[in-house]
Amino acid sequence: MINLRDKGAEVWEKSGRPARVAIVLASIAAVASLPLMGGTILNTPIASYESVLVNPVAMFVLMAIGLNIVIGKSGLLDLGYVAFFAIGAYTMALLGTRTGLNTWEILPIGIAMAMFAGLILGVPALKLRGDYLAIITLGFGEIVRIIALNLETLGRSEGILNIPTPPPIFGVEYAFDSHRIYFWTLLVLILLAIWMVRRLSARRAGRAWESIRQDEDVAELLGVPTFRYKIWAFVLGASVGGAAGVFYASKTLYIAPDNFTLQISILILACVVFGGMGNIWGVILGAVVLAYLPDRIRFLSEARLLVFGLVLVIMMNLRPDGLLPRKKREKALVVKEKS
Amino acid sequence: MTEPLLRLENVTMQFGGVTALNNVTFDVKPQEILGLIGPNGAGKTTVFNVITGVYQVSSGVISFQGGSLAGKKRYKITKSGIARTFQNIRLWGDMTSLENVMTATDTHKKSGLLSGLFGMPISRREEKRDKARAQELLDFIGIGEYSDRLAKNLPYGVQRRLEIARALGTEPKLLLLDEPAAGFNPAEKVELADTIRRIRDAGYTVLLIEHDMSLVMKVSDRVVVLDFGQKIADDVPQKIQEDPRVIEAYLGVPENAS
Repeated sequence: MINLRDKGAEVWEKSGRPARVAIVLASIAAVASLPLMGGTILNTPIASYESVLVNPVAMFVLMAIGLNIVIGKSGLLDLGYVAFFAIGAYTMALLGTRTGLNTWEILPIGIAMAMFAGLILGVPALKLRGDYLAIITLGFGEIVRIIALNLETLGRSEGILNIPTPPPIFGVEYAFDSHRIYFWTLLVLILLAIWMVRRLSARRAGRAWESIRQDEDVAELLGVPTFRYKIWAFVLGASVGGAAGVFYASKTLYIAPDNFTLQISILILACVVFGGMGNIWGVILGAVVLAYLPDRIRFLSEARLLVFGLVLVIMMNLRPDGLLPRKKREKALVVKEKS
Repeated sequence: MTEPLLRLENVTMQFGGVTALNNVTFDVKPQEILGLIGPNGAGKTTVFNVITGVYQVSSGVISFQGGSLAGKKRYKITKSGIARTFQNIRLWGDMTSLENVMTATDTHKKSGLLSGLFGMPISRREEKRDKARAQELLDFIGIGEYSDRLAKNLPYGVQRRLEIARALGTEPKLLLLDEPAAGFNPAEKVELADTIRRIRDAGYTVLLIEHDMSLVMKVSDRVVVLDFGQKIADDVPQKIQEDPRVIEAYLGVPENAS
């Protein structure tokens, strides 16, 4: 089977600085032009193509990047990731309808709220491992939804209506149906998240997470403050989920507890696993495929989910480590044997 | 007499009804190589586990550089200057050799996650310094050419040595080696003995668990013998080899006691 990951890494390593800048800019331009490709084969036959690109595609990508910090990098199984998405969304909904704050002002507040939630969940939960952690996070995801369902302030099952759209930026209006501008804004958030993850992975935090994922006891015995780094993974993962939530609420203008079910957590987890845990490009690809595919094959009507499930099963059998797995390349050994 | 670097005082470790260590007392003096031997199940690895905080002692005191280690977090014990290797190799297989050692050198970094994220000069400086240090340690142990290889793909002997390099990465004062020669052939053992001496000469103190008697007797300045959780001897190698209690514990004379 062709190894896209290694091919990509090879091209990247051989390129000089200007070539790399060119690759990055060209890739960004290609992705940014996606909303303009509505007439091509990419078009989703029944759903509006541009709105599919925003939600679920870009939303899933953003959240998958966030969850990947927790699951892929640090090996902490979080089944309640939707909670942070919900907290970001409800922060936006509440502050957006009750105060004069606009989306850009609420964004950092929503991120902070999600991070804070990650902290309060993480401090007790991260003392546990594996299955136990998974169950606690699963419970947390449900608790957040049920609180929203029962709290008068949060609109109970009716949710919150009339959430404001983002104010114009550089004179560009965020009209409800102009999906492109939302897509491009999300793209900026996604690029920021990629930057953050790549930056952290290359240094101390990345090594600490990697060592924890592979053997937590040994990590601790070799001086890694494991608890602190697990909390960081949780909190940073939550921040990305919170950002996605704020933007989601500001895009759909209406949220209700039904938007934040366990199914979202599972779907995002599927994106991470399907794409290739721990490899950010794999995770992005996984999210794109899993978010886009159901809409692309919508013409199959009833058979749609069956086909989707089949694709998942077949792919996971063919590539159990995901589309673009994590496994790192060893640099050519010949080069090293110069001494 | 010099102040001991590490002191175990009446240390007892019980697991339910089993007493793994019974009232064990011994010192490790700065810059010595102390061999820790005993038949299987004597409690040698348990000694490592109580020193490094994997277990909390049932009674007794362990002090390092004069301060008690009781209740200290494991990574803090490591940071204070004790590092170990593992009897069954436990490297981070999906990391390269260099990354394995660098994860250990991170122990003493001042820069953390945020300074790394924002590319602060201190993070960049420390990263560069530690990378050089990690490579230096790999070279010192004699596996420098494997720095870019994933740990899981390394030959067995290199993995054993990498365990030592990684432990040294935490800049310990006391290095605990848990059967570093397990599975080595005679030539590799000779080389390892030389490495252990070089480690000591570089200023580290070594506490060595090893089953290979000729190796222990050759490199150790002093040997402590455990049997069924109790210390039965504590002396220079020559005396240990003549000690009737030790001979009895091992049911015979060590191979090259001549």
